Amino acid sequence: MDGRKKESKITILNLIQSEHSRREFLKKTVIGSSALLFSSLFVKRVFAQRAERPTYSMILVDYNKCTGCRTCETVCSAFNNKVKIGEEELPGLGNPYYSNIRVYSFNPDVDIPVTCLMCRDNPCIEACPVEPDPKTGRKALYRDEKTLAIKNDPVRCIGCGSCAEACRTKRIGAIIPNPQTGKPERMCTLCDGDPQCVKYCPYGALAHVVGRLDGKHYGFSIEEIAEKLTKLWYYNERNK
Amino acid sequence: MAEKLFGYNGVILEIDLTSGKVEKKPLSPDDARKFVGGRGLGMKILWDKLRKPGVNPLSPENPLIFMPGPFSGFPIPSSSRTCIVTKSPHTSPVKSKYPYASTISYSNMGGFIGPEIRFAGYDGIVITGKANSPVYIVIDDDKVEIRDAKKFWGMGTDEFDRKFIEELKDRRFRTCYIGPAGENLVEYACIINTAARAAGRGGTGCVMGSKNLKAIAVRGTKIPPVADHKRFLQLLEEARNGFKGTPYTENWRRYGTASAIISSSDAGSQAVKNYREGTFLDADKIGGISAEQKIWIRDFACYCCPLACKKSGVVRTGPYAGLVHDGPEYETGTMMGANLLVSDLEGLMKEIYDVDDFGLDQISTGNVIGFLMEAYEKGYIDSTFLDGIDLKWGDVPAILKMIRKIAMREGIGDLASKGVKRLSERIGRDSYKFAIHVKGHELAAWNVHVSLTQGVCYATANRGACHLNGHNPRAQNLNAMNDSLGLCRFAQGGFRQGLIRELLSAITGLDWTEEEYLKAGERIFNLEKAFNYREGFRREDDTIPDRFFEEPLTVGPRKGAVLNRDEFKKAMDDYYKERGWDLITTKPSAEKLRSLELEFVIKELK
Repeated sequence: MDGRKKESKITILNLIQSEHSRREFLKKTVIGSSALLFSSLFVKRVFAQRAERPTYSMILVDYNKCTGCRTCETVCSAFNNKVKIGEEELPGLGNPYYSNIRVYSFNPDVDIPVTCLMCRDNPCIEACPVEPDPKTGRKALYRDEKTLAIKNDPVRCIGCGSCAEACRTKRIGAIIPNPQTGKPERMCTLCDGDPQCVKYCPYGALAHVVGRLDGKHYGFSIEEIAEKLTKLWYYNERNK
Repeated sequence: MAEKLFGYNGVILEIDLTSGKVEKKPLSPDDARKFVGGRGLGMKILWDKLRKPGVNPLSPENPLIFMPGPFSGFPIPSSSRTCIVTKSPHTSPVKSKYPYASTISYSNMGGFIGPEIRFAGYDGIVITGKANSPVYIVIDDDKVEIRDAKKFWGMGTDEFDRKFIEELKDRRFRTCYIGPAGENLVEYACIINTAARAAGRGGTGCVMGSKNLKAIAVRGTKIPPVADHKRFLQLLEEARNGFKGTPYTENWRRYGTASAIISSSDAGSQAVKNYREGTFLDADKIGGISAEQKIWIRDFACYCCPLACKKSGVVRTGPYAGLVHDGPEYETGTMMGANLLVSDLEGLMKEIYDVDDFGLDQISTGNVIGFLMEAYEKGYIDSTFLDGIDLKWGDVPAILKMIRKIAMREGIGDLASKGVKRLSERIGRDSYKFAIHVKGHELAAWNVHVSLTQGVCYATANRGACHLNGHNPRAQNLNAMNDSLGLCRFAQGGFRQGLIRELLSAITGLDWTEEEYLKAGERIFNLEKAFNYREGFRREDDTIPDRFFEEPLTVGPRKGAVLNRDEFKKAMDDYYKERGWDLITTKPSAEKLRSLELEFVIKELK
């Protein structure tokens, strides 16, 4: 139907078609797709095998579909910052400052939603200087076995900012230290398994992917991704 | 303890650029209830600040008021608008005892800065005074700084947009700014954000330039309180669902306003050849379908908007290949395209880019150039008058030269920077018949021959000719409310009947019945009208150019369409009666003003 969308063959999630549901997306992504270039700008390879227990769960962005509306920020913030109204605990009003997914805008128009990549080799946890707990084996920063999300134990965290620095220099810079305490914030919680950003994105630009992951991360910064997308979209030879 | 004000931060930020003084003034709960926010509350603040008529709009005294509304900052679909209110530098009455008499001006823009002003803890920003040299303002939550902007003065909006965010060192700042046109005090200069979204109309950028203010940057961490949290969340869910998968949403996403370039041309309601015609035979060459194939790459949305009507693209062929910008939309494509008989889509993109980059209003610029083209064609002016430019219909390079002259106010550009009213006064003869303005403000891209109520809409708009005014008092009152909430007009149709009011009630805790809602809109409209009346605007100012009564359309499906003067006069009589305004002077009656709780206005209107 839409000439523009057909034309852009190189998409960041190059297996997703616009009409496909999340279920179909998952099927396609997870089943036997060796060396699938998904999210090609920052993840080099994905090997997913159905039989094995998933080790990886994350939010993937299709930059081609993102319009930069920031609805994701508001629903993330609302879900993860609940408020008590009378006896009830309800989602907050969606102040985007407290969102774990953050959209960065560029000129020419490119919008980069940034959220924790849940990196398999987790440089943030590697950088955490807190001694592992003898019982759980966890540092202050650890991967939660159930949700597979990266979490911080605020009691044990010393607020040194090493994790944020590691994320910023080696990956995308999703972790932001709290300006007062220095403790890491903005790590994706995956919303207890039902990511609100995926659910509410009006443009279907986000997907929740569960599987096994192998290979290396490119580790591009937000600026580098923006530059690549700008070239790909606006300054591509095909446009001439 | 003071009563808690729900739906508002309760603070108006006031910055005086002359002294550098920054004040945080409490927002009066009574004003919030009566004037809501955005356009309405901005008007009330303007009224309070300008206590006498005839203030020079370019004097330090004239406040420049940035107003989000009570919806701003909440994730309600398409609540992204900021209304900028000031005294217009571009309108004038037929006669008045005040040399600087002008109307109010309001102009709103989408993007992200309206919500961000609320996140920073304010319900509005009022800027007065004039800085000694170019400055910009940074608002970082409670911290407000005025910084030197000399190195940015003269910079186009596209380059400035990129350089400024680098200077601020955080992409989470939201910015808006003027281009060279605003710095040079072109009367119809605009304020731009994200290098393309504009508060285009009414010369807000000219007032900003007069204050030596290049830009504003805002960043915040807060959000205002709502009265009924649970109800608000329910209504929010309903509002979001209302946009899902509907043809309404799909059409906006696919074409934005550009779909109207062809439909309006087919209906004979497009501004074509300086409003001489209503149908552009080449409309398909510049319309949404062509643009989709040849230019557009991606859709972009304002804050929490499910419609994404902004189409960004790139010019792929011809002398402007490689140019990246958004458009054409209906207004930009019609005013810089159809109205100038430009059918070269790539050339049109370059025009749109240049107009935005200089920080000019696309509508007034296209109207002014169309007027000059017609005067040139008719031999009222020659190329010497135009500094040697051979300004023929459809000639893109000539148009580009003229755009530059206007923005820089060079040669003929100086006079053209004052709009078609002043141009026709200089050119003389019967050129006033095709100087397409009301109160000095140029008409927009909707032509009038085919619609009497479109004429009433333009004639009665408080900022001078305005296509968004509304075709009757009820529509005008509703629109005034819409502009006061911070909600986008394009999204209105996606809300269930009554849902907007219910959201406002849940946010503010006040019971917004339909009656109260319409009354508030009427109150806002009447306060604007009272301001204009005090300046000296009368019934003779509420008219539309002769062209629409005297020159029937000669092409298209509506060939022969023309308005009838008697019918127009009667429609205007009916309008004033319904408004409760005097038929001869248009003065709002004291009882009307009293019924709208505008007692403070009565003694000001002699």
